[in-house]
Amino acid sequence: MRYSQKIPGVHTSQGGETIRKDNRIDTTDLLLLDALQDDLPLTPRPWQAIGEQIGVSEEECLQRISRLSESGVIRNISPVLESRKFGLNAGTLIAFHIPEERIDEVAAIINSYPEVSHNYRRDHHYSIWFTIAGRSNGEIERIIEEIQTKAGIPDEDMISLPTIRSYKIDVRFRCIPEGSDG
Amino acid sequence: MDKTDQSILRELEPGMPMIQQPFAEIGKRTGITEDEVISRIQRMKDTGIIRKIRARINQREIGIAANALVAWNVHEGWDGYSRLAALPGVSHCYLRKPVPGKWEYSVYTVHHNRTESEVYFIVSQFAGKEGITDYQVLFSTEELKRVPAVRIDETGERIR
Repeated sequence: MRYSQKIPGVHTSQGGETIRKDNRIDTTDLLLLDALQDDLPLTPRPWQAIGEQIGVSEEECLQRISRLSESGVIRNISPVLESRKFGLNAGTLIAFHIPEERIDEVAAIINSYPEVSHNYRRDHHYSIWFTIAGRSNGEIERIIEEIQTKAGIPDEDMISLPTIRSYKIDVRFRCIPEGSDG
Repeated sequence: MDKTDQSILRELEPGMPMIQQPFAEIGKRTGITEDEVISRIQRMKDTGIIRKIRARINQREIGIAANALVAWNVHEGWDGYSRLAALPGVSHCYLRKPVPGKWEYSVYTVHHNRTESEVYFIVSQFAGKEGITDYQVLFSTEELKRVPAVRIDETGERIR
């Protein structure tokens, strides 16, 4: 049997904008999301292997992944690369104290640097927190100085917290709730 | 890692092809066989270049709405990193160099939970158990930038 290309629950309006009509996620979806956050089986037919894990066919597995991608639950399925293997040996977390009305302008300056991967506005005196990864501490210091100069942030409104050690990096969202022993 | 490995990474970065044999498709695009794609990916895993291949999910879509950075001022000799890292919803746990006299917090965790009160509950319960009295919970109110730290350039040759 062939499945049609149309994805259940996703309808396209005349303007081409996707409208989620039925975005209900069932238990099988949650099992699938948990399985997909583990390392993908490195076999010629990985979706078949994942399907076997959660008790659905390869076809259904693929169809569910497509639906969850269309509805924005899954961003993509991609490799996590080890930054140190790419020469990114130094990192820091920076916080700026910025008046509310300057946040957008300063964020644009910060975000223009490819060395900045994460930048969040936070509910605190230090209102912007961002990470810089670089080849060396020297390179990072140079970038910080440049951003400070461009954005006009004095030293007293800034903290830099260089990474000494990472104990955990594993962005994973458990979908099937843990037992009550948590 | 050679040019072929870089091409594979560049093809993988936007996301696995959603077809029965995705590695065969990657092979077609990079001019090698399915077997070679798989063995090259395996080698990049063995040498630690690829940590894993996994789904990046949008946690808000499954009801995980709260994101907090928690800064901990732990006492001398405290060694509860593995316990802290194992708390529900913790994705990152780092030791950082603080700024003496200005910002004394040296341990940082990132928490993703359903609600802010769930984060507070988990954090305060842990602090109580561990005897940590000084910590700050900083909820994010806006995501200004979020991309992987390592990205493959469009040419596949330059990697940052």
